[in-house]
Amino acid sequence: MARSLVLFVAFALVLSTATELRGAEMVWSGLVIAENVEQPQPIPPELTRIEQPLKHLFGYNQFQVIGQSRKPLKTGQEDWLATSKFFGLHVNARGESEAGYVLNLKLYKEKELLLETDAKLSRRSPLVIKGPQVGSGQLLLVLVVQ
Amino acid sequence: MKTFEEKWTAWLDGRLSDKELAEFEASLPDKAAAEAEKTEAKKLGALLKRELGAQALLNEEFFNHQIRERIARESTGESRKRGVEVSPWWTIRRLLWTGTASLAVFLVMAIFVMRDKDPVEQSQYLTQILNARVDPVVSPNATISMFETTEDRVTVLWTEGLQSLPSDYAAK
Repeated sequence: MARSLVLFVAFALVLSTATELRGAEMVWSGLVIAENVEQPQPIPPELTRIEQPLKHLFGYNQFQVIGQSRKPLKTGQEDWLATSKFFGLHVNARGESEAGYVLNLKLYKEKELLLETDAKLSRRSPLVIKGPQVGSGQLLLVLVVQ
Repeated sequence: MKTFEEKWTAWLDGRLSDKELAEFEASLPDKAAAEAEKTEAKKLGALLKRELGAQALLNEEFFNHQIRERIARESTGESRKRGVEVSPWWTIRRLLWTGTASLAVFLVMAIFVMRDKDPVEQSQYLTQILNARVDPVVSPNATISMFETTEDRVTVLWTEGLQSLPSDYAAK
């Protein structure tokens, strides 16, 4: 009985330590152009994890990052911007829950708001947003908790 | 010197010597009545012997009965002793059964709890889109849908009909 109690306490301590270590997490936000080309470039390392679903869902063979931001989240109240020459993705964190972060996302084309969404970004589940058609390709917005 | 009663009893039992028999029978006032009494006494003796023999048989049965009872008591005592000796084994067995039953109950409860919790945990693993909107002036025909690929745990906000842009906008 006492041994079980000690084991339980030790397990709880390990869990709580793991939770504390998880405290500051990095959120990667990217503006990605997806295209079909004859000789596709290797996929950026940030997208390796979701390469297969990206290719399967959107039907493109090349994914290039045209703008990105890597932001460590400590309080869950941070905001940041990932920009390319013409697009800007503004991310405003509005709190942290056990499941992840509540984010407000705004996609701008220069100063024009194209799209706005609120999402609860899970630590284990990337978010992909299909943006406007750009030339023969497609603009994608990707957010991943790293 | 034997008394008359002693001689009478010996005469009835036929244990008088010839001399004593002759003297005793000569002393009897009514030999025929004495002979009749002797015959009756013999009958009575035979009857008693028979009855006493039957009584002895009853006693034997009673004795046997007593022995059987005692054996039965001793057997019960032995089995009780045996019961006391095996009690630790039964205790361990009971403990095993109790442990197994408790584990089974725990597993059943855990399965029920996990079933109840599963949808919540699944939703926690996946990113959720709470709402989405596009500028109706810029993209009046735009539509929005959302879905999740549970295998890859990717949540997708799918837009259609957004304003298309020239390839120059793909610049870094």
